[in-house]
Amino acid sequence: MIRSMHKKSHGHKRRGTPLIKCLTECDKEVDVRVLNVDTGFKSKRRLANLGVVPGTTIQKRKEAPFRGPIEIYVKGAQLVIGRGLASKILVECNEACSY
Amino acid sequence: MSCHLPKKPKNKEGKYKDTLNIALAGNPNVGKSVIFNQLTGLSQTIGNWPGKTVERMEGYLDFLGYHFNIVDLPGIYSLSTYSLEEIVSREYIVSDEVDLIINVIDASNLERNLFFTFQLLELKVPMILAINQMDILRKRKIELDFEELERIFKLPVLPVVAVHGIGVHQLLEKAIEIVEAWTPLKKEFEFPELSSILSFGKEVETKIQDLTPEINKNQDYFSDFHYPSRFLAIKLLEDDDEIIKIFESDEKARTNIEIAKNYRKELEDYHGEDINTIISSEIYNNILKIIEKVVHIKSKEKVKKVSLADKIDHLTTHSFWGYVILAFIVFGIYAFTFTVGDLLGGLLEGIYGDLSVIIYERYGEDNIWVKILWNGGVGGFFGAVGGVLVYVIPFFLIIEILQDSGYLPRAAFLMDRIMHVMGVHGKTIIPMILGFGCNVPACAGCRIMETEREKKISVVLSSLVPCAAVMTVVMGLVGRYLGLFWVLFLFAINFSVILLVGRVLNKTMPGVCTELIMEMHEYRVPNYSVITKQTWLRSKEFIYKALPLIIVLGITLEILLELRALDPINIVLSPITVFWLGLPIVTGVFLIYGILRKELTLVLLAILASSMGLTLIELMTPIQMIVFCLVTMLYIPCFATVVIIAKQTNWKYALQISFMEITVALLIGGLIHFGYIFFTTL
Repeated sequence: MIRSMHKKSHGHKRRGTPLIKCLTECDKEVDVRVLNVDTGFKSKRRLANLGVVPGTTIQKRKEAPFRGPIEIYVKGAQLVIGRGLASKILVECNEACSY
Repeated sequence: MSCHLPKKPKNKEGKYKDTLNIALAGNPNVGKSVIFNQLTGLSQTIGNWPGKTVERMEGYLDFLGYHFNIVDLPGIYSLSTYSLEEIVSREYIVSDEVDLIINVIDASNLERNLFFTFQLLELKVPMILAINQMDILRKRKIELDFEELERIFKLPVLPVVAVHGIGVHQLLEKAIEIVEAWTPLKKEFEFPELSSILSFGKEVETKIQDLTPEINKNQDYFSDFHYPSRFLAIKLLEDDDEIIKIFESDEKARTNIEIAKNYRKELEDYHGEDINTIISSEIYNNILKIIEKVVHIKSKEKVKKVSLADKIDHLTTHSFWGYVILAFIVFGIYAFTFTVGDLLGGLLEGIYGDLSVIIYERYGEDNIWVKILWNGGVGGFFGAVGGVLVYVIPFFLIIEILQDSGYLPRAAFLMDRIMHVMGVHGKTIIPMILGFGCNVPACAGCRIMETEREKKISVVLSSLVPCAAVMTVVMGLVGRYLGLFWVLFLFAINFSVILLVGRVLNKTMPGVCTELIMEMHEYRVPNYSVITKQTWLRSKEFIYKALPLIIVLGITLEILLELRALDPINIVLSPITVFWLGLPIVTGVFLIYGILRKELTLVLLAILASSMGLTLIELMTPIQMIVFCLVTMLYIPCFATVVIIAKQTNWKYALQISFMEITVALLIGGLIHFGYIFFTTL
């Protein structure tokens, strides 16, 4: 992992900095790590029971049209999450994500 | 702790038969129903948990000298208070009624499935782990160390391939083995000490172990509830509503709530997360350790091939084709239901007609007993079977196929956004799709909603969906005489009403819609025996409830006709029917009968027309047909639906909905009527 990114000169993309995005913004088919689940109590518990907790690796698979729900892959299963909830899940992308 | 000895009732032959009560528990879509099916076959019944709107599937089996009562619990992910199903399940498992649980686990998804296993372990009820779908694991060249699993969980762990019937009866054999090992040596099943791999992290575990003896002190009080003290300790820490309610009702127990609250705060401060996240994370950490020990991947090849199921999945959730497919499927439900129904219905009509000729020749057509018993009673029966049942059975069949194949969550995925406008989330589309066939199972299906608010809104929306009966009226009147354009016009109004009602309910009902969280399991080929049994079970329910009602109503209609009691009713209703809606006066009573079965409005109209020697178009003007169909579509759910709504919510709400829908129907009907007059006199 290229964590020593500060050596890069200006004008180049800074690689290696972990990017923090909402689930709604990050790329599909890329492994991302859950940082924070900032939803209401019941949804948080439900998501936790299904494995969506800080530290877990998940993958965004699909997005429904018209700003609809998002499908993720977590703990071996496909889970559909409403857009409102997805926007409150912060994930950490690695370098594979685009800016 | 309660005793789980098998009970010994006498059976019919007067011999003592040992009875074993088993509950099947596990995540949704792990193959529980397939196992349940194989064990119980035709003995299955569907009912409800007493006083609750959760379905209860049970059946029985006599095997190796034992009588097994088997209950198939709803598929759930946890034992919290997220849904009524979780609450009902956990209460049932610890009750005296259950001797043993079979936890069905999907081998291809061990990680998530084992989370529920951990929950079940805390209930300290004798358990067997059934690892299903072993064939998929074999295909992926993955091996499971069963011995290690047994060592870790200190419970029997058995492989199963339910769809092929492998390993299913061995589960019962193992159950017998366990039970026979209890008696006569031990009076009580002693649940093994949890191995360290199953306990929580140090901080959480200490708090639980401090809280448990405090709860133990009030053991007498809690013996009514059967929950193990450790389970109660964990739930108090988690701030579980239902458990807190139990503790609050006793003075001594109340202190435990405070202690738990303080412990919870300490844990949350220490870990920097809320309690549910802490507990779930620790459980999943343990699961990862277990998986490392028991899962062995034999081949290093990464399976990156896109399967057929994946391709279909992409198509059915596609931004364009997904919706096209959805429309096709809804249309397909209608088409299939009607084709099969018309075919069989026509056959039965023929039989009834031929028999009627014979009866009339023998007894005369105007004989009063002929009218009441033959036209009303037997006619009602043939009408119920030939007019209703022949549509209901293919409808249930196609719905079961859709359900078992896994399509319905895809529909919810596509429709979630639109559903939000109406105050519900994507899952509501599922009962609404059912509503196209019949509103009764649609409203019953609203029990899948997580909160009361969503259930209430879903139930209203489902009851406004034009069911097959309504379709019969629309197609038979407007469709036949006025053309497809006006049919679509009526549908447009109907759907606009649904959207509008949803919006209004969303704004006026307190609370906010919960967000969608739903698993989409892989597409799979529907299991033949599960589908046929489910279809039969649901049709049976319908027959026993609806059929007698329809026959009785048929008889009363004939009696009323004879007594000419209908004319006064028509006159009373005429301000509404004639003046406001512009309809012929006879339609008053027909609309009343439509409350019982919506297609009766058209059926009775047709009977009247033929008795007057007129065709329908001669009896009613085009605008009258449109208003008539519109009112039929909207005015009130059919009686059976009202009953179901009342069962899902309460009678007050059911009557409120009925009243609201009548008002809406009359309003729009009148608007169209007067609007038409206004525009044609210009």
